[in-house]
Amino acid sequence: MAEASTRLIVKTAVLTLLAAGTLGAAAGLLVWRAGWYNIGATTPHLGIVYTGLEQAMRYSVQHHARKVAVPALGEADVVRGGIVYRDNCAQCHGGPGVAPNIHGLSMQPAPGPLVDAPMRWQSRELYWITRHGVKMSGMPAWEFRLTDADTWAVVAFMNRMPAMTVADYKTLTAMAPAEDQAQARDPAAGEAR
Amino acid sequence: MKAPRTLAAAMLAAAACLLAGCNSGPKPPPGVTGDPGLGKLALTQYACQSCHKIPGVVGSDTFVGRPLEGLGKRPFIAGNLLNNQPNLMHWIRDPQAIDPATAMPNLGVSEKDARNISAYLLTLD
Repeated sequence: MAEASTRLIVKTAVLTLLAAGTLGAAAGLLVWRAGWYNIGATTPHLGIVYTGLEQAMRYSVQHHARKVAVPALGEADVVRGGIVYRDNCAQCHGGPGVAPNIHGLSMQPAPGPLVDAPMRWQSRELYWITRHGVKMSGMPAWEFRLTDADTWAVVAFMNRMPAMTVADYKTLTAMAPAEDQAQARDPAAGEAR
Repeated sequence: MKAPRTLAAAMLAAAACLLAGCNSGPKPPPGVTGDPGLGKLALTQYACQSCHKIPGVVGSDTFVGRPLEGLGKRPFIAGNLLNNQPNLMHWIRDPQAIDPATAMPNLGVSEKDARNISAYLLTLD
């Protein structure tokens, strides 16, 4: 008697879950195939999609950067990082008192500021994001564009940014003329120096 | 039969609205010109939400700039500027002319977009 009622409960539960799962999958398939979700960059994501994707990125970065060893970074790295940042990052992320260019402003999701980067990320995570980029976000990978030393230098610079005034940022990013692109893009050349 | 159908129509409309991202925003407060609905769209094209938390705008939890909740009710903006539409538009278009030390940059906002953006922000209470 007890066995029969237990069996009924289990059977009902399994069938209900199956039906709900099938219905959910069918609804998802419909929204996906009909193209109802607006992919245009003038329409923001639904809040739940944005937050879900952002959180997934955070977990992924935390996981993949967990074994990155952080070298000792000094004042020279901050200074060098300012030039790397100005030449490669400020275009989309801006800086203290400096706006991103129109491409950065118009992207969805917005690349966002990095003046608070060390409040959001560990150094090893900033290095990992810079080196590997982030799929589908517009963030490029810099592994084949920047030397390892320059990647760490830009991490050192980002770690300094929260304490920078508008004037500090101007000074640090004005110290050297724009890089020779060919040299900046050849990691091997940089490794030799 | 009629009630369920009305309900279904309302749910469909709500779903379509969610998917398409409705722009039929609120009316501007008295004395304020511009279109708050267009302003809400325009401000995402200047990445305002990447530094400011703005009610009604999807984005990250960010505290680089101050959250703009309740802006319509604040007596002052930017520390000591009277909160009215011309001042807000001036601040949005050229913050460093008002406070040279502010980390908020000049984002190249056109007058029309600044008017619509300020119209949206002034609806926030």
